[in-house]
Amino acid sequence: MFGPPQTVSRESGGLNTAIGYRYAQDSYSDQKDYVVRQHQIYSQASYGSSKIWEIYGRIGIADLKILDAFKSASVLTTTSKDHFEENWKFFGTLGAKAFLPANRFFGVGAFVQGNYNFSNFTDDITGIQGGTPFVADWKVKHLWDVNFGIGFQATAPCGVKLYAGPYVYYAEADVYFSGAVTGLPSQAPSMLLNNKVIAGGFLGVDIPLARGFRLNVEGQYTDRFSVGSAVTFTY
Amino acid sequence: MFLMMRYCLLILLLLILPVEIMAISCRAEEPVQAVSGGVSSETVSPGPDQAVPDNRSHSKHNGTGNTTEDEDFDYDDDPFKSERVTIDDPIESFNRTMHNFNDKLYFWILKPVATGYKAAVPEPARISVKNFFSNLRYPARLVSCLFQGDFAGAATETGRFAINTVWGIGGLMDPSAGKELNLQMQDTDLGETLGVYGVGHGFYIVWPFFGPSSPRDSLNFLGNQVLYPLSFLNIWYASLMTTSVETINRTSLRIGDYEALVEAAIDPYVAVRDAYAQYRMHEVRVRKAKSLFFKDNLPGDAMPDSASHPKPIP
Repeated sequence: MFGPPQTVSRESGGLNTAIGYRYAQDSYSDQKDYVVRQHQIYSQASYGSSKIWEIYGRIGIADLKILDAFKSASVLTTTSKDHFEENWKFFGTLGAKAFLPANRFFGVGAFVQGNYNFSNFTDDITGIQGGTPFVADWKVKHLWDVNFGIGFQATAPCGVKLYAGPYVYYAEADVYFSGAVTGLPSQAPSMLLNNKVIAGGFLGVDIPLARGFRLNVEGQYTDRFSVGSAVTFTY
Repeated sequence: MFLMMRYCLLILLLLILPVEIMAISCRAEEPVQAVSGGVSSETVSPGPDQAVPDNRSHSKHNGTGNTTEDEDFDYDDDPFKSERVTIDDPIESFNRTMHNFNDKLYFWILKPVATGYKAAVPEPARISVKNFFSNLRYPARLVSCLFQGDFAGAATETGRFAINTVWGIGGLMDPSAGKELNLQMQDTDLGETLGVYGVGHGFYIVWPFFGPSSPRDSLNFLGNQVLYPLSFLNIWYASLMTTSVETINRTSLRIGDYEALVEAAIDPYVAVRDAYAQYRMHEVRVRKAKSLFFKDNLPGDAMPDSASHPKPIP
């Protein structure tokens, strides 16, 4: 979630807070591609002023699922499950955005946003390798990303803001293995996963509700589609 | 090392507890000022549904031993008259001792610490800390509202808790009290709940560390324990630290209030006692006015304005 390019804080300067949910998907790759999915729930606090700039921070929890991470490529190895899955861990986000209004209705903005998962994600599997049972675990450490984008915004009647734009990003995660298992990419002690593509696009709408609340819905597309929604309160 | 820890614990306890003196005395200060704007609390006349107070016995507590002309004046036609509120004080000597003890604790320990804290922490941060702890006291306010039959208040409290927790960054901010939402805190407790049910004060008692109270209002100790989430912290020093921070923070936002009350009074003990009694009676009236069960029992002219028209924080 990047939100509208223009801050929703009061022009004289003020806070806005939000609670949001995001279903994120992306493809990471090392020797092979992995589809990574996360459900994120977060709370956000922002400070903006003059309707042109804003800084914000988020704290939230997210799970992690890496599809087919444990699926063996070898007929000699069978595993108890195919997917790496771990439950909620804390993550944090910092971001800043600036907006340049062209006229009353249109404007263009830029943002930079970084996410970092404070905790490690861990999952283990059991299986049989060449007739011998085994137990192994994976640890995903230092999952982070940084995004930079440009957003074009149009303000519709009733204060509805429509926005869209391109962005580039970089994401990585370190994956550590407890031991080598034939058919799994764990011959080395660890691997570094990176985002498969580096650019994407986003599209969103920000709708004023009653009594200072706003609803923000946004979709993003890189190699996979992500979608999120947040309810914002402006002080 | 262990001895040092014990000394630290003792000092922290001394810091924590006397805030209750400030909390109750300063909450009670407003009614005193309101009364003194017209007539003094020594001279206000009783209302129609209130027992006629014994002015002579009350003047015994003013420290001067003298009566004034005002006490003999008939205020029946005074349009600004307000009710004379008294509370029995059968253990006055004990109470005065505890009052002095609490007073010294405040001036010698709590105030210096709170003053230093105030100098170090900006006011917006201190208000946020106050909001955070206030938000955690939601269960006590909710239960009190429900028992009082104030279901609108219970709904307001629940809405406030949800909004302040979610959009108020865990309760650090108070967006509910803004003019947009205008959900004002239902500042009530279990003592007031008993008051709504018709239970009287009983007698006046000054608890060491906790300050002015009555047998009825002492029930709040239980409420603060059972209905306050932080009291369930298993680690004793964590609970102690949170209580210390809350107390010092709250005091830092009220430095000067208690001093003003004490300086304006001939006998601070009497001033605090009367203000306490009047404040609690007023609060019970406000709560009764909001109760679905008991509001019909109020006299027609006794409904406080603040009961039905809370003012939003700008």
